[in-house]
Amino acid sequence: MSEATLIKPDIDFVKGVIAAGGESLKKCYQCATCSVVCNVTPDKNPFPRKEMIWAQWGLKEKFIGNPDVWLCHQCNDCTAYCPRGAKPGEVLGAIRKQTISQYSKPGFMVNLVNSKLMMPLLFLIPAIIIGIFANFTAPEGELVFSNFMPVHYIQLIFVPAFMFGAIVGLMGMMSFFSDMKKAQGISSGNLVGSIKALIGDILSHSKFKSCDVSKDRYLSHLLVFFSFVTLGIATSFGVLYIDILHVDSPFSLFGKGAIVKVFGLIGAIGLLSGVFLMISNRYKNAGKVGLGSYFDWLLITIIGVIMASGILSWVTRSAGLAEAAYLIYFIHLVFVFSLFVYLPYSKLAHIFYRSAAICFNKYSGREAAPGR
Amino acid sequence: MSDNTNTILVVGGGISGLTTAAEAAEAGYNVVIVEKTPYLGGRVSRMNKYFPKLCPPSCGLEINYRRLKFNPRITYYTLAEIERIEGSAGNFNISVQLNPRYVNEKCVACNECVAACPVEVPNDVNAGLDKRKAIYIPFEQSFPFQYAIDDASCKKSDCGKCASACRYDAIDLNMKPKVIEVNAGSIVLATGWDPYDAKKIDNLGFGTSPNIITNVMMERLASNTGPTKGKILRPSDNKEVKSVAFVQCAGSRDENHLAFCSAVCCLASLKQATYVREQYPDSKAYMFYIDIRTPGTSYERFLNKVKEDANVSLIKGKVAKVETDPATGDIIVTAEDILAGGKVKVQVDLCVLATGMVPTVGKVKLPDSVKVNENGFVVPGKDEHGIYAVGCSVNPADVAKSVQDSTAAALKSIQTIRRNS
Repeated sequence: MSEATLIKPDIDFVKGVIAAGGESLKKCYQCATCSVVCNVTPDKNPFPRKEMIWAQWGLKEKFIGNPDVWLCHQCNDCTAYCPRGAKPGEVLGAIRKQTISQYSKPGFMVNLVNSKLMMPLLFLIPAIIIGIFANFTAPEGELVFSNFMPVHYIQLIFVPAFMFGAIVGLMGMMSFFSDMKKAQGISSGNLVGSIKALIGDILSHSKFKSCDVSKDRYLSHLLVFFSFVTLGIATSFGVLYIDILHVDSPFSLFGKGAIVKVFGLIGAIGLLSGVFLMISNRYKNAGKVGLGSYFDWLLITIIGVIMASGILSWVTRSAGLAEAAYLIYFIHLVFVFSLFVYLPYSKLAHIFYRSAAICFNKYSGREAAPGR
Repeated sequence: MSDNTNTILVVGGGISGLTTAAEAAEAGYNVVIVEKTPYLGGRVSRMNKYFPKLCPPSCGLEINYRRLKFNPRITYYTLAEIERIEGSAGNFNISVQLNPRYVNEKCVACNECVAACPVEVPNDVNAGLDKRKAIYIPFEQSFPFQYAIDDASCKKSDCGKCASACRYDAIDLNMKPKVIEVNAGSIVLATGWDPYDAKKIDNLGFGTSPNIITNVMMERLASNTGPTKGKILRPSDNKEVKSVAFVQCAGSRDENHLAFCSAVCCLASLKQATYVREQYPDSKAYMFYIDIRTPGTSYERFLNKVKEDANVSLIKGKVAKVETDPATGDIIVTAEDILAGGKVKVQVDLCVLATGMVPTVGKVKLPDSVKVNENGFVVPGKDEHGIYAVGCSVNPADVAKSVQDSTAAALKSIQTIRRNS
């Protein structure tokens, strides 16, 4: 017989998971249907059945350095087939939120960002920061956004905001990776090969394709992902024009800096369709898997507002509606700032942690070959 | 006390109904049994063996048939359905529709009619594993031992081949349904169950291969009176079944299907594992379960006995994927072996889905005073109602529990009659 194990339940962790959208957690009776219907789970020690009992028992330390909650793409095949309505997909989402706070420092930011009560503050603070630099005394003359907020101010605010988000996320990602190595007892592997395979997975969205219930998410996530890539390219061209070629904005679709506009427009339309699909998929599958938690909707809302305000600010500017254009542009800036700063604390943190987990799974050899 | 209200009406002629009838009649009360199929004995008559003793149900049924046959207080109607129930405890008026059998008592069971009949339909008695004619005898030990014509599939006077073949004038294709009135002091509902429709569990593959069967089919496959005369052969190619996987909770304990535990499936699968193990000494049986539910000393003992067999593997983890290997026709079941910590795929000759029980009481035209819960079982009412539900019309139950229930209901019914006389 093995030695007796002393179980130390962390009640706060259980409560946290329940509060974060895992209220069905305690319904699980460990039949393991979920681990079998899941198409992305490994054969050895599959998830999410074991995560369900760890979370029920408050075994928080089991989740430290554990890649499995991040291997889940929450396609909710498990939730649809769960005989008890325990919604493993939602519970794993809630656990992910709980574990983000362990790696994205300072951890309290995760709860702050994802608390309904804090929502006004969440956008008020960025509004104040941007407000300080903005020219609210309705600039006279030509309707140009740089009259409202000079480009060098934008760079002064948004470059550090983005760097902050990215650095916190990358640091979290690295500490998660080293925790995984420690916890799973893996000391070496093919890191470069794993990263290459990871990038292949991300570009092809191969994991999403294996889902059954939420198959449509493949397309919506693909659209959102590549739209962000496209918008990133647009931004790079913008930087190129302004800082290197010294061509001032505004750019025009048929004039100077057209390439910025072309990429911007493609990105905006892609994002619009992607977010629309995401929302409609959620409603379509709500009967089977639920609508999702605040954590999910916060990100959808931020992206949705960025996209809508981006397009509208362009439209109102072109229409010469100064007041509306400046106001909408202000909202746009506030939400982009929020996206950057809250990057490692919101659901978007999955960029770091899911990538790390998939990469580790390849690194450790648990996932034999890409596209298994 | 009039003779009529000294009568108990029993709806359903399975093991519960027969027991209630025999017990009440032997205590001096009249009983009328209304059974909708052409034979008595219900699902028990289609079982191969009882758990845990592994004895054939036919001998217990034989005893009950004798109690019925030689007790003048018992009247039974087969092919009969309740049309209407009116009145209250002590004085119920019940209309019973008697559907035509098209075969009268002159029948000597010579089988000439079956040979002549051109219509073939899936044999419901054998859970659809084989075919039968539109005129048929349900099985060799049918009670009453009388042929019947299946109203739905027979072409009647458009065909008439059976009537011409019959030398005893035993077939009357012009028989019409008739309605009789029964006056009774109390009513016992012993309507039984149907197996859950396994096609609804879309991840367990029922219907995608003939080698994925239900536990009810397995009983017939192992039975001497079944389609293979008791030789356990897999349906696709009649290969001997050298490996079998039992998928527990196929629909039961699942809010997407049946929210309740069907109470008998664990013991039924353990029992069916012994069928295969006894017939083929080199065979293997796998049983995938969430929890093994075998409450009580004798059932626990039975579980332990089956467990001792090294060729029987009990694996904790529900099967959630069932596939067919196209090359061999074998079935591949996938589960997470929770205790071992990994997914397991097992390739077997035959896969048995331990499908649960769906109560059939809802199909009976009942008075409003009888309440049915969200799972379709009767909610036990107050004794004053004079209507009692037994066996699987009130709860998923095995035969032992149903028989105890039925004996209790016989007493309750007698008390109702005494109270109201």
